[in-house]
Amino acid sequence: MSTPHNNRRRFIVQAGAAASALALPLVSGAQPRTVKVGVLHPVTGALAYSGQQCREGALMAIEDINQAGGIKSLGGARIEALLGDAQSTPAAGTAEIEKMNEAGVSAVVGAFASAICLATTQAAAKYNLPHVVDVGVADQIVERGLKNTFRFGPGYRKCAEIAMANLQVLNTSAGKPARSVMIVHEESLFGTGTAQLLSRELPGYGYEIKEVVKHANPTRDFNNIVLRMKAVNPDIVIPANYYNEYALLVRTMQQQKVTPKAVYSVLGGAASSYKFIKEFPQAANGIIDCNHWFNPKDRRSAALRKRAEAKGLFFSYELFMTYTAMQLLADAIERARSADRAAILAALESSTFSDHLMPYGPTRFVNGQNTGAQPLMTQVIKDDIRVIIPREYREAEPVFPLKA
Amino acid sequence: MKMPSLRRDLLHIAAFTAAVALVGVFARSGVVLNFTMMALYACLMAQAWNLLGGYGGQFSFGHALFFGTGAYVQAIAQLGAGLNPWLALPLAVLAAAAAGLGVGALSFRWGLKGSYFALVTLAFAEVARILALSVDFTGGGVGLMVPLRTGAAHLQFAGRGGYVLLMLGLVVLALLATCWLRHSRFGARLQAVRDNEDAARAVGVDPLRVKLGAIGLSAGFMGAAGAFYVQVFQYIDPAIAYGPHTSVEALVAAIVGGLGTLWGPVLGALALHLLADLTRNLFGQLPGINMVIYGAVLILIVMFAPRGVMGLGQSARALWERRRG
Repeated sequence: MSTPHNNRRRFIVQAGAAASALALPLVSGAQPRTVKVGVLHPVTGALAYSGQQCREGALMAIEDINQAGGIKSLGGARIEALLGDAQSTPAAGTAEIEKMNEAGVSAVVGAFASAICLATTQAAAKYNLPHVVDVGVADQIVERGLKNTFRFGPGYRKCAEIAMANLQVLNTSAGKPARSVMIVHEESLFGTGTAQLLSRELPGYGYEIKEVVKHANPTRDFNNIVLRMKAVNPDIVIPANYYNEYALLVRTMQQQKVTPKAVYSVLGGAASSYKFIKEFPQAANGIIDCNHWFNPKDRRSAALRKRAEAKGLFFSYELFMTYTAMQLLADAIERARSADRAAILAALESSTFSDHLMPYGPTRFVNGQNTGAQPLMTQVIKDDIRVIIPREYREAEPVFPLKA
Repeated sequence: MKMPSLRRDLLHIAAFTAAVALVGVFARSGVVLNFTMMALYACLMAQAWNLLGGYGGQFSFGHALFFGTGAYVQAIAQLGAGLNPWLALPLAVLAAAAAGLGVGALSFRWGLKGSYFALVTLAFAEVARILALSVDFTGGGVGLMVPLRTGAAHLQFAGRGGYVLLMLGLVVLALLATCWLRHSRFGARLQAVRDNEDAARAVGVDPLRVKLGAIGLSAGFMGAAGAFYVQVFQYIDPAIAYGPHTSVEALVAAIVGGLGTLWGPVLGALALHLLADLTRNLFGQLPGINMVIYGAVLILIVMFAPRGVMGLGQSARALWERRRG
């Protein structure tokens, strides 16, 4: 039998349930929203390996950002990746930018290769769409006056300049044992550009350029080039090529017992690669490289490497460069307090991002280039890649020259 | 076989122009405009290849030579001579046509046909690629980058609509050239040479002259595609300019669409672009799967529609008319 007391209790319970039901949409509405970000890389075609490594780096960063509470200034908004495949061509990269723009992304991170970046940054500029360049090293990417383009890492001119200055330091402190150089480079923008810069500048440092040899991509036989190297007998060999050719060149040098005083590369395709060390430890031994490299003293870099390796990936420069490029963007969105493109652009322009694992210090963009970015010098020592220059990041003393 | 009517062809071209121009003028979606632009670009290259391969029966594997020549002349004229891109465009077309005449003179004079002609054109393109890598004025492996100066006066449009209309103009010119081939005496001679060169010679046709005319025309349009590429992407290097992918793209679209027809290359380019876009959008999250599906569909088209999409359409129409009695 119902009593007035029971009726009142039932009324309170029912009213509470109804209020909760009515409030549910309000509660859901208060849930953190998402910020869409385009992740654009050449995951198929000739650059597929590098593109896939970049994509993994971006996705790992997004996972970390979201797990750490998302974009806090936007109520914990999660970053949602919209994946794009540039298919290793500028045309496909541009088509993906159009798609991403219409899908309402707030910014884009990508697109690994310089030629693709040139096209995608310009396509994104039409829509005032912020484009963070992860790897593309051609300096023209940030020299065209595009207001939407930001590169966290160094361009190849800076890498080549630092490599030359450091070579001089190493050589001078060893009593100048090296006087001649042979450059072996691949035939596209990266290899040719680097070779041109080095062969123009190195004579000013007192080196004789004995030979500059160009090769196609792919090249499957370096015997003739190494025979020529044997004849020329340079003190230093500078390779500027992609992974496969780099590995093959150094292995052929090992087979033919060509041992210069140093194998010294700039943005070398294999010298700063754990894959290379694992596959060809003897051939890799002693190689010096000037490349994109993480701060080895930052604990997060070791943890990230472990995570990448647990996923069956090599901790390559593509992976950690895109990882940090995504973090740079997330930091800008955080400070912009908005998913609006103009606000993110303004936040990027004034970025002082410093909570990262690269050896750069706080970001300072001038015309879209992070002027604080720098490559590190590494050397393969005892089957590991160790930083040798600059001193503040040094893990091992440089071994120069390799032979007396 | 029913002769194509000139009036009907021109009407079709006018309808096509109006339809695409509407897209160029009124479409607001960047995806639609970019798709239209790239599909038209593929149409132009396919139609250029069709002029020589479809109507002339000369299968070239090296049309990238003409594409690259057009692209480099467009870039060098701006960078080296400071020429306005609008003035560089006809120069690029003429230079590509001259390259076509050069290759034609060297190969046709020596009687190269069929697979020999295909191989020699492939070799010419490869030689051009290696030369472009070695000389300074092409920038070598570093390539050339034309300055970014947005504005119609600089042939660089802020939106894709401008490029769609420019490309449409070039495609319409290629369609009109094809139309002329179908109805002119020159075209009749060219098709006679394609079908039986000895018989054509016996009735007074000069095969060398006819084939040279066709390769010059074909190369000129290919050069226009190269110049367009430079204006849109602003960067060219030897691999982009003379790499085999451009030749393959041109010939596959023409063959899939239907050789020796007015609309075959247009349909082929459109169908292949649609297919590539669909597979990329549907399977883009799984790297490479879109390429596998694209390849499989391509094989099926070539196996079951040897006369291309146009042939398939004609068969369907004949079947329909037979059923109707």
